[in-house]
Amino acid sequence: MPDVERSHGTNFADVLTTYGAALERLAFAYEADPETRRDLLQEILIALWKSLKGFDNRCSLRTWIYRVAHNTAASHVSRQLRMRRQIFVALEDLPEPSDSREGEDAAAHRDAVARLYELVHQLKTLDRQVMVAYLEGMDAVETSEITGLSARNVATKIHRIKHVLAQRFREGGRDVR
Amino acid sequence: MCDESQNDRQMREIWQGQPTEGVRMSVEQIQASAGSFQRNIQWRNAREYVAAIAVVVFFGWEYSRTPDLPARIGFGLMIAGMFYMVWVLLSRGSGRPLPEDAGRSSFIEFQRSELVRQRDLLRGVWRWYLGPLIPGLAVLLATSFNHAIQAGHAFPVVFVALFGVLVAAVFVGIAMLNGKAARKLQRQIDELDEAGR
Repeated sequence: MPDVERSHGTNFADVLTTYGAALERLAFAYEADPETRRDLLQEILIALWKSLKGFDNRCSLRTWIYRVAHNTAASHVSRQLRMRRQIFVALEDLPEPSDSREGEDAAAHRDAVARLYELVHQLKTLDRQVMVAYLEGMDAVETSEITGLSARNVATKIHRIKHVLAQRFREGGRDVR
Repeated sequence: MCDESQNDRQMREIWQGQPTEGVRMSVEQIQASAGSFQRNIQWRNAREYVAAIAVVVFFGWEYSRTPDLPARIGFGLMIAGMFYMVWVLLSRGSGRPLPEDAGRSSFIEFQRSELVRQRDLLRGVWRWYLGPLIPGLAVLLATSFNHAIQAGHAFPVVFVALFGVLVAAVFVGIAMLNGKAARKLQRQIDELDEAGR
């Protein structure tokens, strides 16, 4: 196996194949601007490439990858925040949907994705990480390992996420699709 | 309950099923980019110190052209103070690349260490930013004051005294602003500690 493909015992090409799409979604969750998002994804991939030599199996490879990706993306958000002065809110402080008919208009899958991102982009970093982990299908233990939140806090936030999603995407018991 | 789990499933399907562009970089390109990315960071850091370098050049020029020994001592102390300040910024300042062991730390651990570093820099502003400039400034002000008195005119004496007061006020203002920023960071650190409990 050539050195360039094997990053310190881990096949980096396999990492890209397995987690590439998830890392793209993660970059999307942190950065709305397409150009800057490509830069962020590149930054995440470089950070991963450099970090994998230190991977020591003390956590799962997936947890390691998400930690590096989230930490890189959070640093990116801090830099952007200094430039843009954007305001983020906590899950508890999300405003109520202003138009109850909005759910009817969001029937298409594309619209649902756009609305999900609209929601995610408003959140503070920790809440955003829990939301992304939840949507990626991670359990509370793994979410806790990635974020550092206590299990109790993860459970509380997931409960709140479910409530917010149900409120926004199932208006009047209607399905999202 | 059934509705809720169905909604969960649908949300995850929507999220995970969204079209993505695909990672366009090959492993070779990522490896090559890592080098240029590091150079970009170094260049960005270098730009942050341009102002300090300009001040050092200015004081160096003043140092070389003044024959007055106390003034030369003052300019020399200012240059030494600036070098110390830049050294602290280089070793502990902003703009550091992500550490290679970033995967060992959860977000809270990682973010906390960054915030603590920034808070300590802000708290120690007298020690590494304002303090090192004081000896040079004090010598230069005293020298100017002495020259003004020797000249025997009241106006230069008042001017130098007012300048000294203004510099002191600016220093206190900078220290207060940094203290306020440090307290804000401390609140963020406390929030992270609370979330991790």
